[in-house]
Amino acid sequence: MVGWVEIIFRSMIAIVLLWAISKLFVRKSFAQLTLFEGMSTVALAVIAALSSVQLSIPFMYLIVSLLTWGIIMFFAGWFAIKSKRFRNVYYGKGIPIIKDGKLLEEAMKKQRYSTDELLSQLRKKDVFQAADVEFAILEPAGDISVLLKRQHQSLVAKDLGLQEATIKEPQTVVMDGKVLDEPLAVIGLNRGWLEVELDKIGVAIENVFLGQVDQFGQLTVDLFDDEIQVPEPVNKQLVLMAMKKAQADLETYALETEHIEAKESYMANAMKLQKLIAKLEPHLQ
Amino acid sequence: MTVGAKVKGTVASLKGVEASLHQFYLHAEVDELKPILLEGVQAIRNIVGDLESRVAQLEAEEPQYKGF
Repeated sequence: MVGWVEIIFRSMIAIVLLWAISKLFVRKSFAQLTLFEGMSTVALAVIAALSSVQLSIPFMYLIVSLLTWGIIMFFAGWFAIKSKRFRNVYYGKGIPIIKDGKLLEEAMKKQRYSTDELLSQLRKKDVFQAADVEFAILEPAGDISVLLKRQHQSLVAKDLGLQEATIKEPQTVVMDGKVLDEPLAVIGLNRGWLEVELDKIGVAIENVFLGQVDQFGQLTVDLFDDEIQVPEPVNKQLVLMAMKKAQADLETYALETEHIEAKESYMANAMKLQKLIAKLEPHLQ
Repeated sequence: MTVGAKVKGTVASLKGVEASLHQFYLHAEVDELKPILLEGVQAIRNIVGDLESRVAQLEAEEPQYKGF
């Protein structure tokens, strides 16, 4: 085979093989790889790159090498699932580095982990004072996971005793002008419904770049032509406010009227409305 | 504004609320929401009913402000 033709051939094979082998690795983001995994990745890349261009290396060597790496890494991952002991050895365990608010100097020394490094990692988690930390672990990948002391943790709705309603994820039903039937089916809607909703806004499906439906069945769209203005869907908060205003009005009418029956009727309805508002409020936020 | 006009305003607003709640009810995905919303729709309908009969009374008392 002529030189450059062989290079094209090798490169194509290398690319495909590299991609296939990457699929055999455990799914992790690049930053989360342990040092060993990082090094193997680089090794694989170098093998693939070198054999793509270095014609003096017999071609089969490329394939054999990549396959060997791939198979071993695959089995390493598979075995790690089967055996916790192997997992601890292969990936390493997380090492506590701060416990009960105190820095564990012996652990740090053992890991040759300097205080500067510790502080730097803490800052990456927006922690500027080591005293704020209740517990911290040095993960196998080298980053730190931090548990702050209770008083430094952010407020959650639960802390205020607020009853929050569950929020369900919205579904993307239109992408690049094409309708995605599966997400529609997930919410229990269909194309017919979608067409009606789009008619209401006065937009054709072909104009929609992105369309999503929330848990309330409200459709929001982004159009190809950004000049066209799309009206906002019925605002849940406006509904809530309308109810509150009506409730206040009813109380006012109750006060202003001299007609006894009317007074009682207004008050009774004002209270009913009050109860209704309390019930619906968490769902209409 | 007369009391009649004000009450009618509240009635109109509540009818809008009822329509919106009904719309949410029809489109609600979360099943726990549906009975709550339905209850809301019916409660508001009742309130609107009471208010409308009061409006009728007011109009009877002051016929000059009758109508829209």
